[in-house]
Amino acid sequence: MSRSSSVEDLPEQCKDLFTQDGVLLKACLGRPVTDLNSIGMLCIVQNQDNSKTIEWRPNDLITIDSDTQDQEWAVVNTIGITMSFAKGRRQRTLSGNITSDYATARARIIKIPIEELKTFRVTRNNQQMQFSTKPGVWQTTFYFQHGNAEIFVAYLKNHVKTAKTRHDRNTYVVVEPNIESQVLNKSFAELDIFTENTTDVVWNLVSNFKQRPYETTMEAFSKLTDIVYYGNEGVNGKRDVSEEVVDLLTKSMNAMEEATTVTKSDEYEVISVKPTLPPRPSIPRGTPLSPEKWWALQDTEGRITEVEGVKQLIFRGGVAHSIRQCVWKYLLDYHPWHMSNAELKALTKKKTEEYFSMKLQWRSMTEGQEARFSEYRDRKSLVEKDVNRTDRTHPFFAGDNNPNLVILQDILLTYVMYNFDLGYVQGMSDILAPLLLLLGNEVDSFWCFVGFMDKIASNFDMDQAGMKHQLLQLQQLLTFASPELANHLAQKDSGNMYFCFRWLLVWFKREFSHRDIMRLWEVLWTSLPCANFHLLICVAILDAEKDILISKDYGFTEILKHVNDLSMCLDVDKILSTAEGIYHQVVSAPHLTDQIRIILGLPTMSNSTSTHSGSDAPTTSKSETNGTKEDQGTGMFGQEMDEDTLEYNGLQICIVTKTVWALLA
Amino acid sequence: MAKTYDYLFKLLLIGDSGVGKTSILFRFSEDAFNISFISTIGIDFKIRTIDLDGKKVKLQIWDTAGQERFRTITTAYYRGSMGIMLVYDVTNEKSFENIKNWIRNIEENASADVEKMILGNKCDLEAKRQVSKERGEQLAVEYQIKFIETSAKDSLNVESAFYTLARDIKAKMEKKQEASNPAGARSGAHQIRANEQQRKPTSWLSRCSLL
Ligand SMILES: Nc1nc2c(ncn2[C@@H]2O[C@H](COP(=O)(O)OP(=O)(O)OP(=O)(O)O)[C@@H](O)[C@H]2O)c(=O)[nH]1
Ligand SMILES: [Mg+2]
Repeated sequence: MSRSSSVEDLPEQCKDLFTQDGVLLKACLGRPVTDLNSIGMLCIVQNQDNSKTIEWRPNDLITIDSDTQDQEWAVVNTIGITMSFAKGRRQRTLSGNITSDYATARARIIKIPIEELKTFRVTRNNQQMQFSTKPGVWQTTFYFQHGNAEIFVAYLKNHVKTAKTRHDRNTYVVVEPNIESQVLNKSFAELDIFTENTTDVVWNLVSNFKQRPYETTMEAFSKLTDIVYYGNEGVNGKRDVSEEVVDLLTKSMNAMEEATTVTKSDEYEVISVKPTLPPRPSIPRGTPLSPEKWWALQDTEGRITEVEGVKQLIFRGGVAHSIRQCVWKYLLDYHPWHMSNAELKALTKKKTEEYFSMKLQWRSMTEGQEARFSEYRDRKSLVEKDVNRTDRTHPFFAGDNNPNLVILQDILLTYVMYNFDLGYVQGMSDILAPLLLLLGNEVDSFWCFVGFMDKIASNFDMDQAGMKHQLLQLQQLLTFASPELANHLAQKDSGNMYFCFRWLLVWFKREFSHRDIMRLWEVLWTSLPCANFHLLICVAILDAEKDILISKDYGFTEILKHVNDLSMCLDVDKILSTAEGIYHQVVSAPHLTDQIRIILGLPTMSNSTSTHSGSDAPTTSKSETNGTKEDQGTGMFGQEMDEDTLEYNGLQICIVTKTVWALLA
Repeated sequence: MAKTYDYLFKLLLIGDSGVGKTSILFRFSEDAFNISFISTIGIDFKIRTIDLDGKKVKLQIWDTAGQERFRTITTAYYRGSMGIMLVYDVTNEKSFENIKNWIRNIEENASADVEKMILGNKCDLEAKRQVSKERGEQLAVEYQIKFIETSAKDSLNVESAFYTLARDIKAKMEKKQEASNPAGARSGAHQIRANEQQRKPTSWLSRCSLL
């Protein structure tokens, strides 16, 4: 894999994956006292056979290389508390001239094979770490001069699966060496705990939305889902759950009618009060689209007809892991929904040929050509740098000479040929890695990547106009949805929302675990319930931090730090649910502005055909054709009704919630 | 909350993508090196408080994404920085050539009197070297900026580089304060006593790095 030569080409047999300097050996069973209290380096080492070891090396192994070590600097170094040991090069890299001193020092290296590690703990305020390969004895104790043992733990956790013991928060028990794919599969199995019965209810619900949107209020919706999630056991076997659905719908219908009339007379009062958002409905997540459902949705030729319904289901609960490979190709516009199996086969063949012809374009470039083609060379070198830094802790991309890195690189270079103007921009490897990991196939991954890039290409504009535009839209949404927070940010010089840059550029890839990012992305790919839903995800995350940011009076730097540190601490389902709740709040707010409508892809007031007549205005024909009892509600928010609006389920919900707002006002 | 430091310096790391800015910062803030680093998207910073001539100096060091495209965003964070590390990779000619562009970038976006320093990183990779130490030194002379070769991997000169930059900023600050307020009797976190001027130990520096 010379093209993506990794860190260096030293003749080392094993490789330091992580090194922490400034670590003292405090105690070690079977070691003479003279060995103790010496300073050294604690490492995670990958051996030739891919097994891993925790190694501590005393600093005497480290000698100063007079060639590169400037003696002047060495003197100066003593100013720094830690410099006496932190300088120099490791003799280990100069293989072949090992002195006898060196050999004795070598014998003092402590090795703990990770396979044998049973438990470890961090004590004394992150200064001390102890390891054990036998229950009941702490064999080795290390002292971290910089008090940063937690960093070592964080990296160690990439290689072992641990659990914290109940009685002691600081003690970790090694469950098994970490093979993330195993962990993944297990978690997915755990996720699929919902019964088919439950899915049916959600499905019923979705079809209800489709058929009688006006009767399905948000309130009923959340009550229903409550039943689906929490009340199912009670109902189980006694009564058909869908009966429950009908009942609730009827109840909420009646309630709605009553409330609407009451509110109607107060219409102007309601509107004149200080514009606040309606209460946020809590909308639980659904179950992932199951394989059974997915196959059932296809006709005999393999066409998928209920596209909107499928998207609704995916929006609600994501996709079961076992069918992601298949479903993602549709979501990313590689496979058209209405294509038959036979047509898909032909398409795949065509796309495969197309891919390899583009790949050949750069593969067949001679060295001389490349030397005279600086623009290509620049792109290539960016790709190489990033491929080596993409998800390397994941087993799929870990280790040297990993063939998956070659594929990652090949796809990105082929994309350079596919879209030379855009070329390669940092962040793209982050976008591609999860696709390749899931699909495992170069051609599929490429075309799905193309589909994803089409959705977010503006993120990578040369002048970053797309990013700036989105950051502005985010700021506008936040101002509407969470004015208090938006105000705080503006006061703290953070109104440009630059601290959300990473979130938006790679669609939260750096903020979530691999498992969660798959869920988030597939939901976002449905483009439901509105345009720019990913901006509402940002709003949801920020809204959850609002109290901290404001009460602690965080300023410019603290805001950035706090937001950056949220990475890997976010709950994807909770955020999706909150974002959807915020969406309903926003679109049902009486003071909704055209600016927000445009961001969310809703029809604007000025474009609306119906006039804002009085509350006695006759119902529009659309309402009639839908045959609902929403007339009064329609009259009240008549200006919101638009032909386009009625075509999409997501938007239908938005109209309904206006009534809910009237209800709750 | 009581201040636990005497000075707060905002520093900035800039340079082409992949030269090792994040690795240098990780080495300095955690004294560690991680082989599987990820590229920086956007911007982040780390804190380390050092002891400088009896003063606690809190360094807030900002790490930016190197790719040119992101510069419109990253330059927004240049404001208020007091010291800038310009980093290139000794195994990458292009990153060295680009130092000139980065200097221009600083001139356009940072305050005029910001302290600068050039770092030639990855000097542990002798076999792959493309830029000699002499060329680095020459460039530094040209721009009147201090220069040193570093290795984040082998922890070579990283510490010294930050100490040097911090010391220069401190000296400059003290000089400024002295000039603007020669009376001298002051107290408080960001103030210094006049007699500390004499303890400015920069002589060793002029010998080992260039000015
Ligand atoms: N051998 C060696 N490798 C280094 C050194 N410093 C960094 N690297 C490697 O160089 C690569 C890039 O380092 P980063 O620290 O991510 O580079 P960066 O400048 O932050 O890059 P961007 O975030 O893209 O701007 C990584 O693979 C590091 O492991 C060094 O001193 N010696
Ligand atoms: Mg970086």
